[in-house]
Amino acid sequence: MEDKKSSHLIVRRILAWLAGLWQSLGVPLLAVLLALLIGAIILQISGASPVDAYSALFKGAFGSSKNLGRTLEKATPLIFSGLAVAFAFKAGLFNIGAQGQLLFGALASAFIGFAVKGLPPYIHIPLALFGGAAAGALYAAIPGALKTYTGAHEVITTIMLNYIAINITDYFADGPLKDTSPGNIVARTPAILDSAKIPSIQSIPIGFVLAILIAVGVWWLLWRTTIGFEIRTVGLNPSAARYAGMRVAFTVILTMVLSGFLAGMGGAIETQGVVGRYQPGFNTGLGFDGITIALLGKTHPLGVIPAALLVGAMKAGASQMQFSAGVAKEITDVIQALMLFFVAADMIVRWIFRIRSASEEKVILSGWAQGK
Amino acid sequence: MKKLYFVLAALLVASMVLTACGPAATEAPVPAATEAPEATEAPTEAPTEAPMEIDCTSPDYFCVGLVTDVGEVDDKSFNQSAWEGVLAAQDSGIADEVQYIETKDAKDYAANIQLFAEQGYDAIVTVGYAMGQATAEEAANYPEIYFIAVDQFQAETIDNVSGVIFNEDHSGFLAGALAAQLSESGTIAAVLGTDLVPPVVAFKEGYEAGAKYINPDINLIATYHPGGLDVAFTDPEWGATTTKQAIDQGADVVFGAGGKTGNGALIEAAGNEGVYCIGVDSDQWLSVPEAHPCLVSSAMKLITPAVSQKINEANDGAFVPGNHIGAAALAPYHDFDSVISDEIKAKIEEIAEGLKDGSIKTGYGG
Repeated sequence: MEDKKSSHLIVRRILAWLAGLWQSLGVPLLAVLLALLIGAIILQISGASPVDAYSALFKGAFGSSKNLGRTLEKATPLIFSGLAVAFAFKAGLFNIGAQGQLLFGALASAFIGFAVKGLPPYIHIPLALFGGAAAGALYAAIPGALKTYTGAHEVITTIMLNYIAINITDYFADGPLKDTSPGNIVARTPAILDSAKIPSIQSIPIGFVLAILIAVGVWWLLWRTTIGFEIRTVGLNPSAARYAGMRVAFTVILTMVLSGFLAGMGGAIETQGVVGRYQPGFNTGLGFDGITIALLGKTHPLGVIPAALLVGAMKAGASQMQFSAGVAKEITDVIQALMLFFVAADMIVRWIFRIRSASEEKVILSGWAQGK
Repeated sequence: MKKLYFVLAALLVASMVLTACGPAATEAPVPAATEAPEATEAPTEAPTEAPMEIDCTSPDYFCVGLVTDVGEVDDKSFNQSAWEGVLAAQDSGIADEVQYIETKDAKDYAANIQLFAEQGYDAIVTVGYAMGQATAEEAANYPEIYFIAVDQFQAETIDNVSGVIFNEDHSGFLAGALAAQLSESGTIAAVLGTDLVPPVVAFKEGYEAGAKYINPDINLIATYHPGGLDVAFTDPEWGATTTKQAIDQGADVVFGAGGKTGNGALIEAAGNEGVYCIGVDSDQWLSVPEAHPCLVSSAMKLITPAVSQKINEANDGAFVPGNHIGAAALAPYHDFDSVISDEIKAKIEEIAEGLKDGSIKTGYGG
């Protein structure tokens, strides 16, 4: 009797756990599925075979160890920008400025990478990495302070600051930090020194491993520390947080700074692991993709990882798809946009598939509704 | 739950039906593309090109690939001209298989070149100055493949790379000389893509020098797009507003040089009585018909013939590495042929000769 009861309990627990998993993973999974299906229909209408196209996409993303390495490489900055956006969400902040913070991170790390000479790799790599992260953090402090002290909404200020970042970094790459080596006419910084480069082991970029560790670290910070508790409380209800004696203003600025830190580190890893210098146009869209990825990952630090891998795989496979199936490169953008659409408008997905809504969604919405 | 399964099943069925009745009827569904292409039996009802039948790794076939800068092969200017050069080689029977990849992310230049290289392509055209580094690196990795590097100046000669470059300052100079002669107000304008791109600067400097060559006191309003590379060539609204401002300040000839941004300038100028405009890169009379009311000519760089010539050389085994200087010239005057006086035409001819034999210098690039 006893045995039967306890095994029954275990089964029920497993079922409850599965239901919980479905509750949190169901909508993103179905959104991806719907996006791929609609993508297939678009491919069909445009005269290409969806089967050929998707298998070419898959081959381009995972077909060889080199391709897999490229997928991981593409996913790495997306994990960081996704974490940056997801982290800010937890405090009810919508950080659209990950792009600008990432650009400053990439530029600062390139500067430290080529200008600081004579360091061994085990000092130079972290120095450039954290230098980039710090630049992103400082840049994100601006909208954080503006929100705290003037009430300016971070959505507006971070959007504006993206443009400012693009133009300032362009100025540096074509001005004071321009590569003056003979033969160069292009706007770019000099190449970083070998001692600042983040290598790959086999075809696995070290930056990707680092991204996973940081994602776990962000999860730990949010759910296992007092600061994380404060951040989440401020996100859920700032008035209650204030009533409970939490430092709301401080938390808002801190959250933005840490969010910018993550985005900046993503830019730094891109510079040190992939591009090898700062060059305008080489980091386009990485920060904006972070919004898609954060939403696709349900704004959970660990959910960001599979979301970034998915988008990274589509980026890595896009050329192969173009080459083998003759499909316009924009189709991956369309699929990505559809995924975002279905995740963001998850009411539609819930309605189609009759899924009960979870209370978690309020976190996202409160960022828009709350004032100062 | 039942409902869910039903909807899922319905969607799956719908997608399968749609897949099945497609035009290019794929017989073997999943495995076909995951296996190596040569493994599949040649489909009998192949569409037009039958990509499976031509094996580029075989020496019997000459295959040409093209990788664009972060642009598109139907951009009505730069990339399109290069792709037309490749198509010309196919039409004349030199290239058995041609294919392009439009680069989506600047970090993929090398990967896209490798895609062609691994399929055994014999010549690869890389378009745009930004691809210079990737082209040089991949040329070293694949010494048996010919690289035709459009707009990439070769400081050192690599045996299998030819940089196809143009004296943009020359055609810019001619455009400036034409503008200065047509202008009645003594004020001319140039609406330009970003100064981050050297050929754009060359066009502008040439234009200015050409105008001053005719009239040293000419007033030039030259404006570069202030944004980054990602927007500078795709902002026709900015091109139009900037043109309007220049016209308000008395400019009566507008040189629009910068992809779609420049096209916006031309179209805006076309709406103003008594204003002339000059296009860029290719003969824009053909690509931007909206500009017909004002378009007197275009400052061209003839990419198409240069690219197809280099493909011929590669096929004949007579490939000349180093820099290949393609022609840069003014486009025909089209409907304005009767408007432009013989005197002006003669002057333009004279300057073109002078630029060619070196007796006239544009002052750009030393």
